[in-house]
Amino acid sequence: METRLRFALLLTSFFVVWVYGATPIPNKQLLGIDPQDLSFYKSNVIKCKDGSKKFAKELLNDEFCDCPDGTDEPGTSACPEGKFYCQNAGHTPIKIFSSRVNDGVCDCCDGSDEYNSNANCTNTCWEAGKVAREKLKKKIETFKEGLIIRKEEVEKANKAYAKDEADLAKLKSDEKVLKELVQKLREQKERIDKLEEEERLKKEKEEKSLREEEEKSKEQEIKADETQNFDTMDNHEQDGSTGNLDIAVESGNDNMVESKKASTQTAEQHVGEGHDDTLESSDGISQDGEISSYEVPKQDQDDSGSTEELSREELGRLVASRWTSEGADQTTDKIGNVEEDLMDQDSSVAHEHKGYTSETDDDREKDDDDDDNFEDDRDDEFEDDHSSSDASYIADEYEKPDPLDSIEVSSPTWLDKIQQTVQSVLQAFNFFKTPVNVSDATHIRKEYDDTSSKLSKMQSRISSLTEKLKRDFGKEKEFYFFYDQCFESKQNKYVYKICPFKQASQDEGYSNTRLGSWDNFEESYRVMVFNNGEKCWNGPDRSLKVRLRCGLKNEISDVDEPSRCEYTALMSTPALCLEDKLKELEKKLEQMNTRKPQGHHDEL
Amino acid sequence: MAPLTPLLLRYLVVILIPLFLFSSSASAWKKDEFRNCNQTPFCKCARTRTPHSLPRLIVSDLLISDGHLTAHLQPSLSSEDDVSAGDTPHPRPLVLRLSVYQDGILRLKIDEDYSAPSAPSKQRFEVPDVVLPDFEDRRLWLPRVSSTEDGSISSLYLSDGFEVVLRHDPFEIQVRRKRSNDPIISLNSHGLFEFEQLREKKEGEDWEERFRGHTDTRPHGPQSISFDVSFHGAEFVYGIPEHASTSLALRATRGPGVDHSEPYRLFNLDVFEYLHDSPFGLYGSIPFMLSHGLKGSAGFFWLNAAEMQIDVLAPGWDDSAAAGNDRIDTFWMSEAGIVDTFFFVGPGPKDVLQQYASVTGTLAMPQEFAIAYHQCRWNYRDEEDVATVDAGFDEHDIPYDVLWLDIEHTDGKRYFTWDRVLFPNPEEMQKKLAAKGRHMVTIVDPHIKRDDSYYVHKEATDKGYYVKDATGKDFDGWCWSGSSSYPDTLNPEVREWWAEKFSLKNYGGSTPSLYIWNDMNEPSVFNGPEISMPRDALHFGGVEHRELHNVYGLYFHMATADGLLKRGNGKDRPFVLSRAFFAGSQRHGAIWTGDNSADWDQLRSSVPMILTLGLTGISFSGADVGGFFGNPEPELLVRWYQLAAYYPFFRAHAHHDTKRREPWLFGERRTALIREAIHIRYSLLPYYYSLFRKASISGIPIMRPLWLEFPEDKKTFDNSEAFMIGEGILVQGIYEEGQKSVSVYLPGEQSWYNMRNGAAYSGGQTHKLEVFEDSIPSFQKAGSIVPRKYRFRRSTTQMANDPYTLVIALNSSLAAEGELYIDDGKSYDFEQGAYIHRRFVFSNGKLTSSTIHSASLREKKFSSSCTVERIILLGLPSGAKKAVIEPGNHETEIEPGPLTLRGGASSVALVIRKPNVRIADDWTIKVL
Repeated sequence: METRLRFALLLTSFFVVWVYGATPIPNKQLLGIDPQDLSFYKSNVIKCKDGSKKFAKELLNDEFCDCPDGTDEPGTSACPEGKFYCQNAGHTPIKIFSSRVNDGVCDCCDGSDEYNSNANCTNTCWEAGKVAREKLKKKIETFKEGLIIRKEEVEKANKAYAKDEADLAKLKSDEKVLKELVQKLREQKERIDKLEEEERLKKEKEEKSLREEEEKSKEQEIKADETQNFDTMDNHEQDGSTGNLDIAVESGNDNMVESKKASTQTAEQHVGEGHDDTLESSDGISQDGEISSYEVPKQDQDDSGSTEELSREELGRLVASRWTSEGADQTTDKIGNVEEDLMDQDSSVAHEHKGYTSETDDDREKDDDDDDNFEDDRDDEFEDDHSSSDASYIADEYEKPDPLDSIEVSSPTWLDKIQQTVQSVLQAFNFFKTPVNVSDATHIRKEYDDTSSKLSKMQSRISSLTEKLKRDFGKEKEFYFFYDQCFESKQNKYVYKICPFKQASQDEGYSNTRLGSWDNFEESYRVMVFNNGEKCWNGPDRSLKVRLRCGLKNEISDVDEPSRCEYTALMSTPALCLEDKLKELEKKLEQMNTRKPQGHHDEL
Repeated sequence: MAPLTPLLLRYLVVILIPLFLFSSSASAWKKDEFRNCNQTPFCKCARTRTPHSLPRLIVSDLLISDGHLTAHLQPSLSSEDDVSAGDTPHPRPLVLRLSVYQDGILRLKIDEDYSAPSAPSKQRFEVPDVVLPDFEDRRLWLPRVSSTEDGSISSLYLSDGFEVVLRHDPFEIQVRRKRSNDPIISLNSHGLFEFEQLREKKEGEDWEERFRGHTDTRPHGPQSISFDVSFHGAEFVYGIPEHASTSLALRATRGPGVDHSEPYRLFNLDVFEYLHDSPFGLYGSIPFMLSHGLKGSAGFFWLNAAEMQIDVLAPGWDDSAAAGNDRIDTFWMSEAGIVDTFFFVGPGPKDVLQQYASVTGTLAMPQEFAIAYHQCRWNYRDEEDVATVDAGFDEHDIPYDVLWLDIEHTDGKRYFTWDRVLFPNPEEMQKKLAAKGRHMVTIVDPHIKRDDSYYVHKEATDKGYYVKDATGKDFDGWCWSGSSSYPDTLNPEVREWWAEKFSLKNYGGSTPSLYIWNDMNEPSVFNGPEISMPRDALHFGGVEHRELHNVYGLYFHMATADGLLKRGNGKDRPFVLSRAFFAGSQRHGAIWTGDNSADWDQLRSSVPMILTLGLTGISFSGADVGGFFGNPEPELLVRWYQLAAYYPFFRAHAHHDTKRREPWLFGERRTALIREAIHIRYSLLPYYYSLFRKASISGIPIMRPLWLEFPEDKKTFDNSEAFMIGEGILVQGIYEEGQKSVSVYLPGEQSWYNMRNGAAYSGGQTHKLEVFEDSIPSFQKAGSIVPRKYRFRRSTTQMANDPYTLVIALNSSLAAEGELYIDDGKSYDFEQGAYIHRRFVFSNGKLTSSTIHSASLREKKFSSSCTVERIILLGLPSGAKKAVIEPGNHETEIEPGPLTLRGGASSVALVIRKPNVRIADDWTIKVL
C-alpha cells in the first residue's frame, strides 16, 4: 500500500515535471493540481481562488479544507467543492469532483485518484485512450466531410431563398394582373347570370300560364325544355320534383354546388360503410351486439357514483386505471372483446380510408424514395427536386394547400396565355343576342372559374411563401431545406415523422399521434422543439425535442420518451458540422497525441 | 346519411367512454368508495349511544390466578330489565383479566367465556405475533388484590406511585397516582362499554351487509366492541395513525364546537389521491393513543386488528358540567376481535413511548445505506435508464444510495421475475451499482398473478397457501397483475414458504445488494369492497378477514423481511419498505406515507404524519419527496428536499404520468439547492445513525415532536410545523410558496444556533426569521454535540473511513454533550458488541471522549481508524488560539472558521483544526 502510493506520487510528479519542467513543489502537495494552475501555487502564501482567504503553502493538500472553494485541497477529498486533476497520460486529462478522491472507486484511468485507498486501480489510459482517439478521429472525419456538404447546402439554400424572394415578388405583381382579370370575368358572368335569370323568369311566366291550361303530361315536356336550356343546373333540377321547383330556383348557385358535394360525399361514405359492414360480418360479430357491449360501461359512467353494475373484473380494471392511463382504455375492454372490436374497427376504417386516398400513399412512398436518395439528389437536381415533389408530398400530408400545384411560376408565358384567352372569350360573347348563347355563357363561366381558382391558388402560394420566408432558417440559412422535408425513423411499431418548421407525429399503422407543432430552435440551433402535441391522459401535452448533431446525412435516431409524453430524438445533419467545433476537436486530438506517455503506459 | 349512424355512434361510444373515465379519474379522492360511519352499522349504532344508557356492567367473581386478576363481567339485571328483556336470552358473562407488567403497564383483556355452557363454537380472534415474545417475562405476579370494605372497589399495585382501581358496579377501570388519587386513564367512566357476544342467528334475521354491490355474508353476525377511554390531566391526544392531517394533536371529532366529522378510522386502505386533512383511514393502523399535558403523559393501546373507529370527544360532549376540565374523553369502536388493551402510565412522554415499545418492540436497526437518500420513480424503465440516472448523480456530484424499480420491471407483474426485454441482465445492473457502493430495491407485492405457468402461483395453489373466499375457494381479486390471489401470511408455514422466495437461488436475477419494497399490502384489491379484500374472506385457522384486516400488511412485511434475513444467513440486516402497517411493523422495516400529491398542503401534512408514526413506534418513516401524484413546481420540489432531508426515511418517488424530476432537471441553481439539501442529510448521517441505534434500543423516535423534548413547554404541545431530530436539532419546515419570513418558536431555556449562519437565538421565544432559498430554518440546541461528516461521496459506502467533524454548541455554562454510535453498518455483529459508542462531554473548557460500551458484552469487536478532522465550537468566547490534546500532549490550532464548507461560507465559529484524534479512542482536548 505504502509503496504503491509512493510510486504513484513519484509517477505523477514525473509527468508534471517532464511536461512542464516547473520548479519542484513537494510531491504530495502537487496532487490533483492542473498543470496550468501550477504557477498559482508557487508562492509561499496562496490565495483562495474565491478571494475569501489566504493560506500558507504547508496547508496545500494537508487534508483540511481551508478555502471553501477547495483551492487548498486539489488533491484530497477535504473540500466538498474541490476538483482533482487526473493527468491520464495517453488519454484525456480530466478534473473530477474531490468527492471521488480515495473513495475506493477508480475514476481516473491512470488511477491517480486512488492514491490512498484500498482500491486496486490499473492504468487503463493507453487502451482507453486509443479507443477514444480512434473515435475522435472518426468524428473529425465526419466533421470535415460534413463541413463540405454543409457549405454546398448553405450556398444552395441561399440561392433558393433568394429565388423564393424573387418568386414572391413576381407572384405578388402577377396577382394584381390576375385579380383584374378575375374582376372582369366576374362582371361578365354576373351580367350573363342576370340575363339568364330574366329569360328564365319570362319563360316561367309563360309556362305558368300554359300549365294552367295544359294537363299533367305536358309538364314533362316543359321540363325537358328546361333541362336543355339550363345545362348547368341539371343536377339540381333532377333532384327536385316539379312541385318544389320554386324553392329550388330561389336557392342560389352556391347552394346548389354545395348540395351536390354533400350528396357525393354521402355516396362515398355509403360505399365505405358497406365495406366496413362486410369486414365486420366476416368477423362474425353483429353490430348490435357490439353496441350493447359498449353501453354497459357507458351507463355506468353516467351514474358516476355507482360501480355496482360492473363485473368484478371491470371494477378491478376501472380502479387500476386511476393510477395508469393505459388501464383506462382497458376498462372499456369487456373481457378482451371490446378492445379487439376497436382494433377491427380501426382497421376497417383504415381500409376504407385507403379505398379513396391511395394518392396520398403513393406520395408518401415517393417521398420515402426522395429521402433515401437525398444525398444523390442534392448533388445534381437538388433545387428542382425540392421545389416540386417534396412540396407536393407535404400538400397531401398536411392541411396546407399545395401552393405550386399547377402554377409554374418559372414559366413566363402562362399569365399572358390566360390574359389572351380571357380577352378572346370576353370578346366572343354577345350580350345583345337573346336568348343567351349557351355555349358562350358556359365558356365565360368556365373561364371565370378557372381563373379565379388560379388566383386563389396563387394567393395561397403567396401566403405560404410569405409564411416560409418568415421562418428562421439558421444563421446561414443552413436549415432552409428542412422546410420542405419530413424525416422518418421507425422504432419498433412506431414510425416517427418529423417535419421541421411544421410538426412531428408518431404513427402506428394508420393512427397518428401528433407529438407537437413546430415551436423554435433552442440552444443556438442545436435543438428543434415541437410543442403542444396531443394531450396525454393525466399528463402534459405531448412534446418533442430533437437534438441535432453533425452527420453526413439527415437522419433521425434514438427516439425516446424519458418522461411521459415528453419525447426526445437525435438527428444527425450536415447543418451541425461547424467549423469551430471541428477546430476544437482537432485541438483535442492533438493534445491527446502529444501526451503519449512514451513507454510508461505499461508500467503501472 | 342513415347508414353512417351506427358507425358514428360507435365512434362516439369509443370516444366517450375514455372521456368519462378520464374525468372521473381526474377528480381526486373517491369519497363514495369508502364507508363512512353511518354506512357501517357497528359504528353508526355505537356512535349514537348516549352515556350510561346501557344496562350497568357489574364485576363479579374476582380471583387471583396465575398472578392475574380475573373476574366476570355481566350486565345488571334489575327488575325492570328483566321485564323489558323479555325473550332475549340471558347474556353469558364476559371474562375479564387484568395483568400488570414492569415499568407501569396494565393489560386488560375482556373476551367471551368459552367455558360457559352456551359458549360460541367460534373463538374470537386474538392478534398473535404483535406483542413481543418476551413481554410475558416482564409480567409482575399479582399476589393479592385489595378491596374496600364494602367490596365495591378493588385496587392493584401497578408501579411505584401508580395503582389500578377496578370499580365493580358499574364496571370501571382507573389507573391513578397513588397518594393523590389523581386518575390518569380510565375505561368505561361513561358506561359506553358494549360487547356484542357471538350468538346463533335468529329466525328470519339477515346478517348480510351490502356496500356498493359487494355483499358481506357475515356468517358470525354482529360481534362489535365499543367503550370509552378518558385521559385525565391531558391537554392533547396524539397517535392512532394513519390519517393525513396538518395537525399533530388529534382534533375532536364529536361534541360541542365540532362540525360534522367522521370518527378517526383505522382500516388499512389503498386510497387514491388522499386528502391532506381527513380522519378517514389510510394504509396502516396503530390503535395506540398518547395523551400529554403539563400534568404528564399517558398511553392507551388496543391490540385489535379489525376495523376500528375512534372518536375524540370535545369537552361537554356528554352534557356534563365538567366541560373544560383537563380531561379528554375518547370513544373506541371495533367491528370484531376482543378487548386486549394496554394502559401506559408515563409519567413523561418518553416513558410512555418506552412502555409501548416494551409491548410491540423497537425498530429493527437498519443498514446504514437505508438511512441515506433513495431515488425512486414509477418506473425506471430499463437498464439504460437505470444507468443514465445513476450516471446523472455522479455527473452532478449528488450522493445517493439506492435506486428503486417499481412494478414495470417485472414480467407482467409477476413478482420475482424480470421483463427480460427491458432488463436483460439484472445481476450485472446491480453489480454495476454495487461497484459504486450503491444498492437496488425492487418491488414485491402480495397480489400473485393467477397464471398457471407462474411458479409462485402454481406453488401457492398446490399447497393451498392463498387466502380463501367465503366459500372456501382461493380468493380471486383484481390488482396490477390482473386476476390475482393473495398469500395467507397469517399462516407461519406460508410465511416460511414466502421467505424462501427471496433466496438468491429462487429469486432469479437478484444479488446480495438487492432489497425489497412491499406495496399494496393493505391488501389492495381493485375490485374488492373499498378497494380491499372482502371481510368474509377466510384465513388460516378459519379467521375471517374482518378480524385481521389491519394486520395483514404486517404479516406480509414480516415474511418478506424474514426472507431477506434468511438470504443473508442471518448476517445481513434486511431492508423492506412497506406501505401497510400495524402496531409492531417497526420490527420489520420502514414505512412511507403512500401515494401523496405534489402540493404544498401535503408537504405540510407530511410532518405531523411522520411524527405520529414515530410516536406510535414506527420511527423509520418518510413521505415521497416531491409528492407521488402530480408535478411539483420546482420551488416546492426544492423545499420538499430541504424538509425530507430530515425525514428518517428519505426517498424521492413519482407517478409514471409525472414529468421526470431527477434532481438535476431544474436548472443549475436548483440542482445546487437539491444537492445541498441531500448533502445536509449525508453530513448528518453519523448523528442519524446514532439516533437509529437509540431508537432501536429505547423506542424513542428519531424525528420527534417538540413536546417530547420539552414536555413542560405548553407552547410546543400543538406545534405541527417544527420538529426535533434527536435532542440536538430543531427544524422548521417552509410550507408556503414564496414565503419570505417565518415565525419559529424555540423552546426551552437554552439558546439555539442557526445552522445556516451560526447566529444564536434565545430559547423560550418566538423569532421572526427571514426565509432563504437555500435552506429551511434549522437550529442546534445549546448544550448539544452533533457528530457529522463533511466529506461527500457517491454513497455512504465510501464514507466509512472519512473523518468526523464535531459541532459543539455550548450552553450558558459553556457545556455540551453528545453521543456517537458506529458499527459496520451492515451485519448483526453489533449484537455481540462489535460497535463503538462514544460519549462526548464538553465542560470546563475541555472536551472528553469516553466509551459508553457495556464492557461485559464483547464477543466481537468493531474497530475504526476514523479520526476527527475538525471540531466546531459555537458559543465559545473568542480568544482561544490553541488546544492541547491528551494523551500525547499534542497542540493544535484554533482559528475562526465556517459552519459548513461551502463557497461563500463565512467564519462564524471557532474551529479546532485537525485534532486528528481517533474516533474510537479515549481522549481529551483542552481549549487554551
